Amino acid sequence: MSNEETAGSKPSEKVIELRLPSRLGYERVAMDAASSLARRMGFEGDRIAALKTAVSEAVTNAIEHGNQHNETMKVVVLLTVRDDELIVSVTDQGSKSIDEAYVSRVPNISEAMQKDDKGGWGIWLIRELMDEVEFTKAPGGGNQVRMVIHLER
Amino acid sequence: MTTTRQHIIEISFPSEFGYEVIAREAIATFARCVGFDRDRIDDLKTAVSEACINAIEHGNKKVHGLTIDIVGVYDGNMLQIDIADQGIQQYQVAGAPATIEEKIAGKAPARGMGLLLMTQLADEAHFLPDTNGTRGNRFRLIWRERVETLEPEH
Repeated sequence: MSNEETAGSKPSEKVIELRLPSRLGYERVAMDAASSLARRMGFEGDRIAALKTAVSEAVTNAIEHGNQHNETMKVVVLLTVRDDELIVSVTDQGSKSIDEAYVSRVPNISEAMQKDDKGGWGIWLIRELMDEVEFTKAPGGGNQVRMVIHLER
Repeated sequence: MTTTRQHIIEISFPSEFGYEVIAREAIATFARCVGFDRDRIDDLKTAVSEACINAIEHGNKKVHGLTIDIVGVYDGNMLQIDIADQGIQQYQVAGAPATIEEKIAGKAPARGMGLLLMTQLADEAHFLPDTNGTRGNRFRLIWRERVETLEPEH
């Protein structure tokens, strides 16, 4: 893959776009595309594993919470390749915003073990695994998570 | 929860050699998700790669800044994959692709095995007519659901 300048994107930047149905299971399409791309960029195995987990969590959140399992809604995944980093942006079409407190909370392991519902670790995991994470509102109104993983040569 | 019978995936990637591998992996995972077996996924990966390489090399003439767009649709009975370029060159082949025998005999160019290969790997493989005025080439690959039949007992 070369990294020449292209129309509509910044120098040395290439974009792959995936539009997925809001159906659990299809997060694997994004995981495999991201891992295949990261491997070709030169990321190490443990970083690729971290990326796959983060992408899976972000897309699953978009399907479950943002799009509320509405299969007619799409989850849009943008994979932006730069010389020294991979940026993954996951956007849903949901009208329900993610609660700010939920985005920034740190789960308590002992409390979580007492509860029947063991969910709610996704955003914390994404923050732990990626180098940069930002939650915003997409221009179209959905929720957007932007994750960056740096390539250490 | 709102469900739909038709599952649609769309992929857009830079028209440069190497990126077809990412699209190939994404489409293969899509096929796995809808229940395709390993042999058919191998066929699908080869055919999708060939179609993407043709689109990059011939359709977009390796011009940087262009994209290849793929739409995969599964409706419960068949998986249909359309690969579209931006039509810098029209390279659609009229009629059936030349056979290996014709190529060996020198009656057809030695290159261009990709089209023949795709027709062997998919249940259908053909260009689509330009009905939307984009001038881009669109190539369609179809795999139909196989009905398992039991061997008759003797």
